[in-house]
Amino acid sequence: MRDQSKQIVNDVLGYIQSYSDRDSLSTELDPEFNKLALNIFRFQYERNSPYKLYCQRCRKSPLTVKRWQDIPPIPFQLFKEAALACEPVDEAEAIFMTSGSTNKEKRGCNYHATLEVWDASMVPPFKHYVIPDRDQMTIYVLSPAENVNQNSSLSRYLSIAIKHFGTKDSVLFFDKEAGFDMAGLAAALRRSEAKDEPVLLMGATFAYVHFLDYCREQELTFKLPKDSRVFDTGGLKGQAREVTADELYGWFKEFFGVERELCLNMYGMTELSSQLYDRTIETRARKEQPCFYKIGPAWTRLQVLSPDTLTPVQFGDTGLLAHYDLANWNSAVGILTEDIGYQTVDGFVLLGRTKGSEARGCSIAIDEMLVAQTRR
Amino acid sequence: MVVPSLSTRCWWLKRDVNKVGVKELEQHISAYYVPQGITFDAYEERTLGQYTLDLPKLTSAKLIEISACVRLNRTKYLCSLQTDEIVQIIDKTIQLWLTPEYPLRKLAETLVPLITGYDAELVRLELKRFLRGFRKKDLYRFLDEEFDNPGLLDNFRPRKSGGFTRAYGPGLIFHVFSGNVPGLPIWSMIMGLLLKSAGIGKTSSSEPLMAALFAQSLAEVDPNLAECLAVLPWKGGSAEVEDLLLEKVDGVIVYGSSQTVEQIKKKVHQAIPVLGYGHKISFAAIGHEALTSDRYQDTVHRLANDISIYDQQSCLSPQVVFVETGGVISPRLFSQLLASELEHYEKRRPRARLTDHEIHAIRSIRNRYEALAISDPEIEVYASKSGTEWTVIYHGEPGFEGSPLNRTVQVYACDNLEDGLGYLRPYRAYLQTVGVAVGPKRLEVLAHQLAEEGVSRITALGQMTLGVSGWHHDARFNLVDLVRFVDIERSAEQLAEIYDPDVE
Repeated sequence: MRDQSKQIVNDVLGYIQSYSDRDSLSTELDPEFNKLALNIFRFQYERNSPYKLYCQRCRKSPLTVKRWQDIPPIPFQLFKEAALACEPVDEAEAIFMTSGSTNKEKRGCNYHATLEVWDASMVPPFKHYVIPDRDQMTIYVLSPAENVNQNSSLSRYLSIAIKHFGTKDSVLFFDKEAGFDMAGLAAALRRSEAKDEPVLLMGATFAYVHFLDYCREQELTFKLPKDSRVFDTGGLKGQAREVTADELYGWFKEFFGVERELCLNMYGMTELSSQLYDRTIETRARKEQPCFYKIGPAWTRLQVLSPDTLTPVQFGDTGLLAHYDLANWNSAVGILTEDIGYQTVDGFVLLGRTKGSEARGCSIAIDEMLVAQTRR
Repeated sequence: MVVPSLSTRCWWLKRDVNKVGVKELEQHISAYYVPQGITFDAYEERTLGQYTLDLPKLTSAKLIEISACVRLNRTKYLCSLQTDEIVQIIDKTIQLWLTPEYPLRKLAETLVPLITGYDAELVRLELKRFLRGFRKKDLYRFLDEEFDNPGLLDNFRPRKSGGFTRAYGPGLIFHVFSGNVPGLPIWSMIMGLLLKSAGIGKTSSSEPLMAALFAQSLAEVDPNLAECLAVLPWKGGSAEVEDLLLEKVDGVIVYGSSQTVEQIKKKVHQAIPVLGYGHKISFAAIGHEALTSDRYQDTVHRLANDISIYDQQSCLSPQVVFVETGGVISPRLFSQLLASELEHYEKRRPRARLTDHEIHAIRSIRNRYEALAISDPEIEVYASKSGTEWTVIYHGEPGFEGSPLNRTVQVYACDNLEDGLGYLRPYRAYLQTVGVAVGPKRLEVLAHQLAEEGVSRITALGQMTLGVSGWHHDARFNLVDLVRFVDIERSAEQLAEIYDPDVE
């Protein structure tokens, strides 16, 4: 790594360590966040030509940008088209790739020159938002972990969770050859019931849908021990089946005996290096009214932008989410998503992914045509 | 905005509700039309500025009552009219609409922009342009285009091969209107009347007014004819309302998405004609001949018009443009000029306000191509600066990808227009109109090639959004596909002669 990069990495690690117990709503950190965000912006602008080109198209440069809010958020699609990295990509310690669900040929890549920052960013918030009330838990993982996929940020996430917070009874139920061992998970859940030791289930949202189908087929229901919890990530969009979040949480109660306030959705993206969480478990642990909003660590910020103009909406209005993440020092500090949501004083609400437009009459819009074609 | 004075004629106001004060009365508009004597128990109201649209709440039983009523009125009156007489009545009605002071026209010019969000001036011009296509001469063109002898609709007429034939339109047609192009339902209503069919039209919530106003204007010219029509709003696909109706009708005309058309087709169990006008995609093809130094500005202007009229919501609007190299301006420069023309257009006639979904779709395609443009010099995005008002996506190579509409267009450069043809195949089922700007030597050859790819309408660039009378809508007929031809064969005629007691 070049010296300049080392310096940035040190700055980011310093920030993370200093404020590991604070969150994205800590406005008193704004000046410090702003300073570091602008440094990273300048660094990325100088060191990565696709990034610079995009900023120039937006008519933004370090000379004109004085507030983190003015740093142009990079559309996540750019990760598919260009190498967004300040350090040489062939020296990267890890490359996390998107699943390529729309186009297998084109997968978005986030290059991590070092995983030190990624790991540092992952661990404290996980503790804070997933198991604030315990040191360790038995973790059952439904989705591929790092032993299966080296290029998935979620896989690394799951593996690190076990490494740092899993008891020795923790199990990965996804095998490279055999796939998702649902029978094994079902048996393990039965054993936990008998042992009366709480478990943490972790996996992609749709892995649960499949497992619940299996439970229905096998006529299985569980009454997981008190304090057991369900962690899901990835959401319900873009799958063959339409399932609503309410349905899913209803099923967690019905099939696992886990109450809504012990269920938590993590919002993460390959294009980011930090994760955002539901505040349910955190607020419950403090014996407060459970809060269902989402929040990130102190090294992240959120802007909600008007999809029409890409300028910030009024506080509380719905718009596109643009995440700012200092841990993304090597790629792009701001990311423009296609997720819609709104902010509240206690966090933000994710309403879902934008859908394509529906034309009003006989003129077919592009998305509908794609749907029609895939059906044929 | 000029609000028409309605004080002299307010008969279209809600008839069965007492209101205090004339001023308040004037604000209620019936966004439906039913024959005399039909009443409703309840209405929904939709407020538009100072106006309130009254929309009746329908039940299946009420709809069946109405269908029986219009059918009876048809038997009593419409069946006895000669086609010529019907043409006269429709022409008279259209003439009313072509008078700028006509109160219903002024009302439409005020309300349609409020309902649809389309620019008021655009609506004014386009409604006029559209309605001019249904004057007497155009109606005759419709009839003569499709029937060798339109007299077939009135009587049994002799056939060249002997015997006689008469054409019978459906007794009752169920029209499903779309709301994308204001006034479009009138087309379908007129086709039904020319066939002496009673009609029940289901309006779209995107534009529920024009069909109702047209029925009201028909009533001014001939109340008995209008009694054969009903125009009503309900939520499309609601089984409890429309399923029973579908068993009672003799023909169905559906405008809308391919899904809507399929849904209706599935529900029709009898052997009746169902004409479905579902999803279509149109594009433009610009030859180097149209890009000479004295021509290119006109060409850009024509294309910008086609793109901007009704924000590409019509299936006739171009979503894609093939631009040939070899003119005085390159396809890339053409895209830039198109961008600036769209900007001018936006200043004069701003695009409608969009739904969030529509905006997201534009933002998404822009982001995708902005990202591509970073790494691919053959791709460029020219887009309105402040918001999503217009977007031109330039591709240095031929290809074909649709647009999320609302003044978003894909421009593909090609050395020869023919190079673009190979990309049309996946879209074959959807292809409809091509707006061409090529020299006379190439027109027929290109038209043939486009036809082979599935295109059904080839028109001038700048005229894409205006269907003309007698055109083959989606490659089919407007009238003939709805009628039953009944033959009296020569043998019956000859045999009948034998039974004439007076025959020698």
